[in-house]
Amino acid sequence: MAKDPTPLERFIQGIIPENPVYRQLLGLCPTLAVTNNMKAAMTMAGAVAFVLLGANILTSLIRNLLKPHLRIVIFTLTIATFVTIVDRFLAAYMYTMSKSLGPYIPLIIVNCIIIARCEVCASKQSVVTAGADAMGQSLGFGLALASIAAVREILGTGMFFGLRILPLSWPDWVIMVLPPGAFFTLGLLLGAVNLIESYREKGRNKG
Amino acid sequence: MDYFLDIFLIAISAALINNFVFYYFVGICPFIGVSRKIDMAVGMGCAVTFVITIAAFLSWTITTLILIPGAPLSSFVAGFFVTEAQAATIDLTILSYIVYIFAIASSVQFVEMYIRKFFPLLYKSFGVFLPLITTNCAILFACLTIMSNVAGVENPADAWGLGKSLTLAFCGGMGFTLAIVIMSGIREELDFCDIPASLEGAAITLIVAGIISMAFMGFAGVDSGLRKAMESGEITFRSQLKLPDSESQISVLLAAFTK
Amino acid sequence: MEKLKNNYIVQAWLVLLLTLCFGSSLAGVQILLSPKIEANKINETRQKIPGLILDKAALERLEKEGGSLEIKPKTIRVTKNNRIVFYKVFQAIENGKVSGWVVKSSGQGYADKIELLIGLNPSLNKILGLFVLEQKETPGLGNKITKWQFRKQFILKSTNMPLVASKTGATSPNEIDAITGATISSRSICSIINTAVKEIRASLKENPINLKPMK
Repeated sequence: MAKDPTPLERFIQGIIPENPVYRQLLGLCPTLAVTNNMKAAMTMAGAVAFVLLGANILTSLIRNLLKPHLRIVIFTLTIATFVTIVDRFLAAYMYTMSKSLGPYIPLIIVNCIIIARCEVCASKQSVVTAGADAMGQSLGFGLALASIAAVREILGTGMFFGLRILPLSWPDWVIMVLPPGAFFTLGLLLGAVNLIESYREKGRNKG
Repeated sequence: MDYFLDIFLIAISAALINNFVFYYFVGICPFIGVSRKIDMAVGMGCAVTFVITIAAFLSWTITTLILIPGAPLSSFVAGFFVTEAQAATIDLTILSYIVYIFAIASSVQFVEMYIRKFFPLLYKSFGVFLPLITTNCAILFACLTIMSNVAGVENPADAWGLGKSLTLAFCGGMGFTLAIVIMSGIREELDFCDIPASLEGAAITLIVAGIISMAFMGFAGVDSGLRKAMESGEITFRSQLKLPDSESQISVLLAAFTK
Repeated sequence: MEKLKNNYIVQAWLVLLLTLCFGSSLAGVQILLSPKIEANKINETRQKIPGLILDKAALERLEKEGGSLEIKPKTIRVTKNNRIVFYKVFQAIENGKVSGWVVKSSGQGYADKIELLIGLNPSLNKILGLFVLEQKETPGLGNKITKWQFRKQFILKSTNMPLVASKTGATSPNEIDAITGATISSRSICSIINTAVKEIRASLKENPINLKPMK
């Protein structure tokens, strides 16, 4: 059996090598839905980070008490509670953002990333490792969201975070902020990541 | 008459215009994962539709009877502890997400037991995908939409009843099935094509989904057009049927559309 | 002892304990945050009201004097097609005098419902302001109805005749320019305004709420 990954390894793995969106293909629903603009994407990334961190740490604290056939129930309960807290928090302090994100914040509950991390890492390893894993994965998720949101917002509206980047003469590619644009952007970026990964594989095999 | 118009418009809106997969992006994980073969896709679509309807029924019932302020059961129980007036303001909607996810988990468990008993071959072919329906965003999304139309409306008379909620759930599930079957048909053909290695798998599925999503955008405005045409009372059929609020009769259907 | 251990409820002690803990923490969150959320919901509409009744100069004057508009929400019942529809109306009162009404009205747009706040003068025959609360129109085309360039056409328009959105350019005083490529969205705005004004006028004629200055 290989040694369990250390906290630092977990953290670094989560950012690019085991990126939840591009490599594990988890959590695609919010990735497509909220990446219309950077602000919404970053809010979603922050919310997922909070829930992932909380759920991982709590699960890791009680990992020795978990019964195998009840653990999914406990994961679900924990995640649902944290998501409710985040949702109420956003409704209180960022009301317009909460309204535009709409039903996608509660959908974090069924976001496969969080249950997968609880199952794979938090229920087996210590609190520090679980915390590092959560931070790495959320950073990776945030990076993925940022990449897609940047493409969609810049091409679709010429703005970035609400600030004008492209000149006014840019004909807005409105399709990018509509659903098809989300599918195209994610599909093409996924293809690009796969291509880069295959070149790195070839380089590794040659050397 | 109005009620049936509403139900009809909710149905086509959930199934076609605001398709769960192509407009709201829910249910993407099984959409990419299970859409390789048409028969598996049909099975998955039907299972999801079944679960979504049961889950919608459970969540509507619990929301209306227990969670919203002034709900019958919760104010009855609270009436033993606090005054009547206070009992009517108890708002349990903060528990709604937890309640919904457990309702969904129970529905999936129920459907799993049902399929294992009556369709054992189908159960075997599903494998691990059946319990995974719990994490299908589409089901929770349907429950959340129902909640926002029951608990989130300003005017209690506008709150959705059981009929509208079940229509949304069932037709949303049907829309999901339609999407996944279309995708699986296309993917079966794609197996014979020469796709660049980096695009194989999820990437090409997403690009194809984007094209189909563009096609589905063509449905936009269908429900509002239908609603306007029927509500303005400017349609009469050739028989003596006259809609209750139309003063004049315009004899040709086309006239309503060439405004 | 073994039978006790195999009892499901005993095995689920962790779940029950967690349920209690989470339940109480959620109750705490509810108590802490729900006043703020309620306030957010109300302010969302109320903050827009002064801007819909007063023009820029009057707004600045109000700010300088440190005064504020008193806003009275009312609900107006309208019977339409054997159905009762409620309109949420806000009466804006400045220094004891009714300075205008703000009507919250919604209707079918091109894609989905459009929700509007219409500012009207005290006698309901002139539009003083327009704000789009919610819309799901096509980005880049229909959602231009939120832009000031489109909305300012409605300011100071008379409501004695129904408003019409014209594709070719407004010629008469009851016409406004429709957005290029978003004719249906523009027409929906006009029809929502026309319907709201017509129904509120009819309802107020039947049961008049004070249109006269209030003490």
